[in-house]
Amino acid sequence: MNDNATNTVPGTDLYDHEWKHPTLVAGVPWKNPVGTASGTFQYAAVRWFYDVSRLGAVTTKGVSPVPWEGNPGVRTAEGPASNINAVGLQNPGVDHYLVDDLPKLKEIGANVVANVAGHSDDDYAEVVAKLADSPADMLEINVSCPNVSAGGMSVGTDPVALSRLITRLRGMTDKPMIVKLTPNVTDITVPARAAAEAGADALSLINTIVGMRIDTRTGRPVIDHVTGGVSGPAVLPIGLARVWQVRTALPDIPIIGIGGIDSGEKALEYLYAGANAVEVGAAALFDPIAPLRVARELDDLLDERPELAARLAAGETWR
Amino acid sequence: MTTDTFIPTSTRERLAHGRAVVDAAVGHGFFPPRHTVEVADVIELDAGVTRITIRDPYIASHGRPAQFVDFFTQDPTRLMPRPFGISEIQDDLVSFIFAVVGDGTRELAGLAPGDAVDVMGPLGHAFDTGAPANYVLVAGGLGVPPLIHAAQHIAGDGNSESTAVFGYRRNHFADEYVDRYADRTYSIDESEGNVITLLDRMEDELTGGDLPPVILSCGPLPMMKAVASWAAERGIPCQLSLEQRMGCGYGTCVLCTTDTVDGRLKVCADGPVFTREQLGWE
Repeated sequence: MNDNATNTVPGTDLYDHEWKHPTLVAGVPWKNPVGTASGTFQYAAVRWFYDVSRLGAVTTKGVSPVPWEGNPGVRTAEGPASNINAVGLQNPGVDHYLVDDLPKLKEIGANVVANVAGHSDDDYAEVVAKLADSPADMLEINVSCPNVSAGGMSVGTDPVALSRLITRLRGMTDKPMIVKLTPNVTDITVPARAAAEAGADALSLINTIVGMRIDTRTGRPVIDHVTGGVSGPAVLPIGLARVWQVRTALPDIPIIGIGGIDSGEKALEYLYAGANAVEVGAAALFDPIAPLRVARELDDLLDERPELAARLAAGETWR
Repeated sequence: MTTDTFIPTSTRERLAHGRAVVDAAVGHGFFPPRHTVEVADVIELDAGVTRITIRDPYIASHGRPAQFVDFFTQDPTRLMPRPFGISEIQDDLVSFIFAVVGDGTRELAGLAPGDAVDVMGPLGHAFDTGAPANYVLVAGGLGVPPLIHAAQHIAGDGNSESTAVFGYRRNHFADEYVDRYADRTYSIDESEGNVITLLDRMEDELTGGDLPPVILSCGPLPMMKAVASWAAERGIPCQLSLEQRMGCGYGTCVLCTTDTVDGRLKVCADGPVFTREQLGWE
């Protein structure tokens, strides 16, 4: 229990708490610094557990120009303090998104970050063209998915290809554009700089880390796709170091920190590392309301850190 | 002074917190998130097969046959939920039967009455038992829980009958539970044959009865495909509760899909019950 104890049991005033500490990401106000991470958020599933418009932002699952079926067979394995996934960006396509999830989320007042997926530059461009006139508040370009055979991480690990893609997309929309980076590179500041110089308004990091498990009864990989993306508390130190490195290299670009956040305290670590906001991913697989709980815990932690809170509210960062 | 993550320490504190979490969610019109409940009973039914009972008024009043509940271990390195099918509900008590297949399920099998455990549910779609019928409950191995619960549900309904057809590897560990509710129980183990052996023996009885037969099934995939095929040959409607390696259990992660005639659907949230026609099984 805490010394500012209210009359409510901790974890139970999530549903009507009034937020005290907003942030600003590339000019877009967030009512608190916590959003959902793409890939772990399906409105149709989460809506039964809480009002998602209470979050700083809702980052929706990646959408592609046409529906994608994702990978067949077993898609997941458990790792130590982690989940490994190989969904392969299954989604019903951007046209469905524009008439279903997006209007539903805007109707309840959510701040929506639309995550964009593609197998090729043309794919990304087709989705961005359709989202350019939509009510989405921000776009997040997914150049970091490790589970698709083309596009995704193959773009995000090649600074030349990344620069070409972001330059093209930049010319298509004035919407604030976030580029989501992969940690599966030697030096993340190289793609970070390439994205920033090509016109990205913000960066989000990290996407998942390539990993696998083997079933020792069969000697075969647990996941049919063999490898998947590792997320969960195990990746916290990796995500933090990447945010620290990018912030050191690029003092001004807004950063959304992602990786292993399951408490307000861990979110706070990312803010001290130089993030303007954070997203909660795998923790939502272990409890649907994790993003809201993280936001609630962080709100009180920021009470005790007025200088940090003031910087976030002004669109600045700790370092 | 800081409000770090609230971690209740004692079992009493954890249980009180669990009740407050459910009350807060329900009070605001939402589904309860993960919460802590009390373990009421744990029995080993067979080698590596455990029946656990929890006290959870919410799940007890909302759980339907084929729905499941996410169980969480206390081990911070094993975070993924273990989804267990509901096998029976009595007042506030909800029972489950599961196999120990790894360290996570081993920890859960080691719980004792009075312990606290984190759960979330009920999840997924239930069997449709609305139409008056003779429901033929075909289970194999650890597929028994939803069919015991179906027998209980049907017994309380009054318009239908149920016929349990259970196949085991060796010990008939679930017969005593389904016997409480089913109008007839038939079971078999690998020394004699399988559920298809039983269905063949019962064919005249099933198709010649007053109530039309409807098959509900859960078990290993090859068994369910054989059952679906047996049903299709005789024009008997068939609902199948699938298993798949899951992530969240509530539909957000899209990790547990199955191929259907309507595309790749989520086993947890679109299922786990699908009709034979939806699965395109001949």
